[in-house]
Amino acid sequence: MKLIRVTKGNLLFQLGKREKNLLIQVLGLYPRIPPSNFRLSKTGQLPDAEANQRLLDESLAEQRAANRKTLQAFLTDARRFTDTESGPRLSMSPSELEWLLQILNDVRVGSWIILGSPEQGMELKLLNEKTAPDFWAMEMSGQFQMRFLEALEKREV
Amino acid sequence: MAETATPEVTPGTIQTTEEKPKSGLEPGYLVVCWNYPVNFMDYVTHVFQVVFGWARKKAEFHMLQVHEQGKSVLTRESMEKAEHYVHQLQKYSLHATMERDE
Repeated sequence: MKLIRVTKGNLLFQLGKREKNLLIQVLGLYPRIPPSNFRLSKTGQLPDAEANQRLLDESLAEQRAANRKTLQAFLTDARRFTDTESGPRLSMSPSELEWLLQILNDVRVGSWIILGSPEQGMELKLLNEKTAPDFWAMEMSGQFQMRFLEALEKREV
Repeated sequence: MAETATPEVTPGTIQTTEEKPKSGLEPGYLVVCWNYPVNFMDYVTHVFQVVFGWARKKAEFHMLQVHEQGKSVLTRESMEKAEHYVHQLQKYSLHATMERDE
């Protein structure tokens, strides 16, 4: 994937032929982080801690439902992907890219949690037939995330 | 990270200190980011810049603190603002919490 054009309100990426399908597959895994993972406090020493945690849980559930809807609309928008001889092109606004980073990191962190939150460098010890799909999701979402971050940096230069 | 300001004392001013009860409106809550080793360093830096509007250098400083020390206190705020920041950071799937500043 390569950023080929930047205008004020739009970023255009050239994708490899298989990359479009890979991106759609990865995004289709959203959401992956278990909801119980989001805690307002570690110590729980907040006023109305339970009520505040409940509010956070509700807000998170609403946000995830909205993200799923937006994701569906994002992927089915006819102007999103255009086919060219050199492969599909992906077009989006900077704010959509920012939002997409959130979605991808949910998939990445969620996959890592499903793998048992391994320490850095210990991941490969857990790789086997059963865990391979989670590794794939973690690595693939990370790859897209890095390409998109690079694009944002180029835009800022 | 919490920023503190020294109160200015001018001649003729009597400075009094008063014990105030902690309420939800006082800046008494720390926003803490904990280390998730799976997060890319560039990603964490980017999120800090977006959520707090920080310059890259400050965002990198806190990112490195998270990476090397396991956590970083990002700011000290009122309860409402701290909640807002925690929610923003969690939207990016960073491990953020708020803790009472004892």
